[in-house]
Formats: sequence, C-alpha cells, structure tokens
Amino acid sequence: MLSVRCQRVSYQLLASSSTSPLVQTRSYATQPKKGQIVKQASQGFKGKKTAPSGQMEPAKKDKKMMAFQPLPVSQLPHPLFESDRPDTLTLQTFHPEMLTRVVESQALKFPHNDDDPFRIFGLPRNILVEFRLLSKPCSVIRSVTIDAINKLDAASEKNSKESRVVFTGPQGCGKSFLLLQALQYCNARDWLVLYIPRATNLVNSTTAHTYDMRTRTYLQPIFAYQTLQRFLKVNTPRLEQLRTQTEIEIERRPPVPPGTPLVELINIGLKDQGHAPTVLDAVLEEIGKQTIFPVLLAVDDFQALYCKSHYRDQHFSAIKPYHLSMPRLLLEYASGQKSFARGAVFGALSMSNTTFPLPVELREALSLKYDRPYGPYVKRQPELVEYAHGLESLAVPSSLSVSEAASVFEVWMKDRAVPSKPNDELFLAKYSEASGNARAFVWKGLLSSMS
Amino acid sequence: MNVMRRPLGLSKFRFYSTQTTRPFVPPASLNHFDFRQRQREKPRPTSPAFYTARPEFYDQLSSLESALQHAKTALTTCHLLPLPQFAREALPPRINAWVDKRELGLKLRSTLTTSRYRRVVLVLNELETYRSIAEKAGIAELQEGIRGITELFERADAATMLARGKAKPVKFDEYGRSYTLGKRKTSSARVWIVPVQQPPADKPTSQSISAATETDTALMALLDPNSSSKSNEPVSVAQILVNNTPLSTYFPIPADRTRVIHPIKLAGLLGAYNIFAIVRGGGTSGQSGALAHGIAKGLAAHEPDVATILRKAKLLRRDPRMVERKKPGLAKARKRYAWVKR
Repeated sequence: MLSVRCQRVSYQLLASSSTSPLVQTRSYATQPKKGQIVKQASQGFKGKKTAPSGQMEPAKKDKKMMAFQPLPVSQLPHPLFESDRPDTLTLQTFHPEMLTRVVESQALKFPHNDDDPFRIFGLPRNILVEFRLLSKPCSVIRSVTIDAINKLDAASEKNSKESRVVFTGPQGCGKSFLLLQALQYCNARDWLVLYIPRATNLVNSTTAHTYDMRTRTYLQPIFAYQTLQRFLKVNTPRLEQLRTQTEIEIERRPPVPPGTPLVELINIGLKDQGHAPTVLDAVLEEIGKQTIFPVLLAVDDFQALYCKSHYRDQHFSAIKPYHLSMPRLLLEYASGQKSFARGAVFGALSMSNTTFPLPVELREALSLKYDRPYGPYVKRQPELVEYAHGLESLAVPSSLSVSEAASVFEVWMKDRAVPSKPNDELFLAKYSEASGNARAFVWKGLLSSMS
Repeated sequence: MNVMRRPLGLSKFRFYSTQTTRPFVPPASLNHFDFRQRQREKPRPTSPAFYTARPEFYDQLSSLESALQHAKTALTTCHLLPLPQFAREALPPRINAWVDKRELGLKLRSTLTTSRYRRVVLVLNELETYRSIAEKAGIAELQEGIRGITELFERADAATMLARGKAKPVKFDEYGRSYTLGKRKTSSARVWIVPVQQPPADKPTSQSISAATETDTALMALLDPNSSSKSNEPVSVAQILVNNTPLSTYFPIPADRTRVIHPIKLAGLLGAYNIFAIVRGGGTSGQSGALAHGIAKGLAAHEPDVATILRKAKLLRRDPRMVERKKPGLAKARKRYAWVKR
C-alpha cells in the first residue's frame, strides 16, 4: 500500500535509466554536489531527476563540523608565536612490539602513513579536535591499554564469538582513545581492521535508507559504500592475498564465482552503490571464514546500535536499529550470531551522548550500575536483549593514575598548549579538580584556565 | 525554790506600773545561789549574726569576708599589696561568671535581694582579684586556696560563657580528622579533613643509591631540559568527595571546582589532605563557596601556620553577602521601575 508520493517517485525512477531500488530521503537532506556522493533521490512531489550513478570518490570530509582548524606555521610570522622554536615534543612511535608493562604511563605518537586507519576511517569528534590541537597525534599507554592488548593477542587465535568486548566507564575516562590504540595495534600487527568511529551516524538518519524486499530490512547503501571503500583502502595489501571461497549471489548480476580475489568483489560493490550492502555482507562473511588474518571490528558510540534510530517508516514510527542494514550487521557480529574465525569485536560506549543514551538492555548485559531506578516492569526489548547477550565489559578506570596524568601534562606542556604557567602546582591543582578524569583534566583543567 | 521570781500578783511586763522597787531580800539568804550560772542560763548564740534577720546569710558573708581578709594579709606579707597601678593594669582582665541570684540564694540557704547579692558578688570579685595576683606571682598554695572558695560560686557553664564571641578551637577525633562547618549564602557544608596516609618509603633502596649517581642524574637533568627524569617517589594525591561523589562529578563547572581548590592551593597542601564533605542548601556557587570556607577552616586547624595566609586571602571569613530583599516601590532589591516623565 504505497502512498501517492512513493508511487510518483517509483514512476519517475522507472522512467529513468537507473537500476537502483526505491529510495526515500528527507526533503532537507543535502543536495548532491560535484565530487561527493550522489544520492539517488527524488525530492517529494517535485521529483527532480538526478542522474544516479555510484561514483568513486575520495574519503568523505566532514564539512558540517565546526571543528577547530589550526593555522599552518607559515601563516604565523609574528615573533610572539615562536614558530622558529624547535619542537620540544619528542615521542617514540607507537610500535606493537614495545607495548609491555614497562611502557605504561608513557606517551607514544601514532605512526603517520597514507593508509593510516585514522585518516581513512575518520575519528570521533572530540579526538579529531584534540589531534588538530596537538602537533602530532599521540596517546598515553595506560595499564588498561596493556590489558586490552593482551586480550587482543589472546583473541587472535580464537573465534570472535569469544572475544566481544565493550569498554565501559564514566564519561571522559578514555574509552575512545583505548579503542584507537587497539585499532592501531591491530593494524600494525597485520590484522584486517574495520573501524566505525561514530556509530551514531548510522542511526541518526543522516543518509538515505531504502527498503529491500529480499532481506526485508532497510538498506543504507551510502554507508555500505563508504565502509567498503575505506575498508579496501586501509587493508589493501592484506585483501589482495585473499580469495572468495563460495559462490556469492548479488542481485541483478551474475553470481561471483569462488576463487575471485576479494578486491575484485569489493570493486563490484564500489561500482554500483545499490550493490554495496550485499557486497559488504559477503565480504565480511568471506573474511570471517579465512584464518590467515585475524579481524578486528571496532565500533565507537557502541550504545547507539541498541537505541531507537531516528529513521522513520511510512507510519512515522521509529525504525528499529536491527531493521537497518548497517547496525544489523554490526549487531550480528557483536552478538556472536555471525563471527570471524580469528579476531575480535571491540566496542566503546559514549556516555556523553544524550540523544543516544545507554539503554537498559545493554546496561544489564554489561552488568553496569543503574543510573536511575529500573525494575521488572520496565520493558526490555527481547531482540535487543538477544543482541546484547554475551558481551564482555572491560571497565576503563575513571581516573588517570598520577604517572599517566603526568605524561598527559607533559605532552600538552611541551606542545606549548597550556595557557597557564606549567608547574607542578598547576598539575596537582587541575588533577584534584578533575578528580583524575582525563577529559576534565585536559579540557576543563589545563586548556581552560589561565592562572 | 524560785524565790527570785516575781511573786504572784505582779505581772511580768507591767513592771513599771506596779512595783518599781524589788522586794527586799536579805543577802545572807542568797548565799547559796550562783548568780553567774543564772546569767549563763541562756546559751550564748553560736554566731555573731544570731540577732540579725538572716543569720545564715551574714554568717556566709562574714566567712567570705574573713577569707578575703586572710588573703589580703597573706598578699601584704608577700609585699604584693598594695599593687602599683602599672602592675594592676598588667593583670589579665577577668570577666567573672558567678551564679545568679536564685542559685546563690540556694547556696547560702536564704533568699537574696539584689543588694545582698551584689554585696556577695563584690566580695567574690575581690577574692578573684587576689587570686589572679597570687597566680601571676606564682604563689600556688594561696591561689589554690582562694580557688577552692571561688569555684563553689562559679556557674556550671562558666567556661562556655567566657568563651562567648571567641572562635571555638576545632577538635580532632581519634583518627585525626577535623570537623568544620562552612557557610555561604544559604548553603552549608560539613567538612571532614584527614591527612593522606603516606605509603611507607623504601628506605633501604634509597640509601643504596650512591651520592655520585645522584649528582650525575641531577647534572643530566640540568643540562638537558627536555629529558623527563621521573623520580621514583610516589606523589600523594588528595581525594575530595562531596556528598559521596567525586568533586568533578558534583561540580561540573570549572569555576566552582577552582573555588573549592583555591584554599588548598594557597596553603600549598594540594596532595596532603583528603576531604569528605556534605553540602546542603542553595545552588552550585553557594555550595562551592561554603565548601571552600569549611576547607579553609579545617586546614587552618590542621596547620596553624597556614591560618595567616588564609586569613589574608579572606578565606576564613564567612562571606556575609546574602540576597537582598525586595523593597516596595522597586521592581527588585535595587531595580527601579521605568521612569515615566508624565
């Protein structure tokens, strides 16, 4: 029972030469621009005909974000900026072999290369701003980092069903940073990595969603396309060594025979955005079967996958996250219904997001303390309870230890980013004010005060 | 035989009207009588105040006055009385807290009028003065003797009365915790401060490092400022809990946190004391101000040297500013309504 609007849209699409399925978008969704992804959209009753085609495009730049962009050094000639002063921040590079208890509380800089997962996959907003302020992206190795890395080493031999870990802790304690460190470690150790820096974007209705009759879920072709693109870019040398093991069926196309290189399979998805969700599913299944490389699936804002999405169906009811293709895929791997033969699934909660707060099903699955009185009469969705079953919680300590905080302080001090006089009194005062909390120490403590 | 009695018919009282002269009795017949004993038939009154209206009162008063006289003579023999003017001025001024009129009446077993009460208090004040002179001079016996008398007449809560208006000393409990109260606007903060327990330092290891290596490391640190030479001494860190939550959770605004830490920072005791506080009433800035006040008072109790610094910074002072009331004819406390020309 299609509405009039949908019928008109369908006629117009059929009239065009595209082979893409029915697409619903919001009237205020961003217009397709040159060099960016073209959304196959017909806007409401006006029905603009846009030439739909999936184009290859470079990594998407976040232009909406009003984030801080530092001026390049060449534009700072005034002597006050001391641009000619040599960089005092000398850090060792983050190298997987050196990550032992000895390096605890030491700051290490992340390696910089073309296929860096940060550059390609993107970063959570807070961390992006922080890396722009710092002269080079770095992080402090904590005791919990070594714990996470030990878990990864153990997980590299086991099925990912047994290593589904979620980082928990109060806001600002360093869960996203820990996930970044795990990601860099796995990338350096030759794992296949797939990183979703902002899972809220999957459920907050920022991209188009289309209903698929075959899977009876809402597909998100743009996200699938982006994910495939980025996954290929970061893991190219490893993917070139892998081949499909079974025949893969893709709609409106002859099936892909077994033995096809995975890179070729991915390119099929990249050529046509409509195929991207199916191809992504197939690719993940294939890399799940192989045992040459372990796989890390890292998701930040993990709790957003369990919240009600902002997408609406034709009855204006919210679409459940497990009815959307991308969140469903991630939920299936997180719950162990699908798994990688070797690897792990890591997630990091975001406790500062008020549009996607931590739901009760996930809270109970991770055995976290309640923030408000819950009881047996609060409804828990059985599907989400099932998707959250078996998740392991790794508690990130709420406060930095003194030596870790000292390393953080040293990094900011040597980068000349602290406005106040950087002495031990400032350090202890800000540490006490923040009660050891990392974000409060850096953002509300060191960078906000001028004493 | 009662021959000396008046014969019957003569009245006892109407002596003047009936017989003016005594009947003649020959002296020889009175030889066997003892007149001295007769004179002493009525017992001598025990106290000289017997014939006064309030013998008990005057007895007590006279005993006090005699004690005063003894003290005076004792001091005079010690050449302490009369005291020159400069010495009298040097004595500490004493405000006495004697029992009130009713209590004194009970003690003296007679109801007192104000003038009688004042008379007793006058004597007691004099005694107290002599006691202070004896105390200053160092004559312990005399001082204790007078004290034995004066403490009978002192109020039970004399200490509290005398300490009115003075700052009460902060008490420490068996764990060394101080308990202070801080206030600001309508908020109040109850603050417990306890010193951070330092972990036992590993003395043998520190002694094993020779002097040469210590100077080497110091020299290296001096020459190369970029090298971070982290000493192995653990840094003690203070924990601050407000209503059982960490400070950063309870006060999200950095200004409030800074206000709370300010007294500790000024005193230079940043990692030295753990603080537990219960705050109530008012809003965020009032509560943070009350907490800062309580912390300052507690730190001044733990470290008296620091009290001067905190007093100079006006942190020991209860901020007297309160919300001003609204006045009639004005929109708010000071805000006037818009002036209309006509």
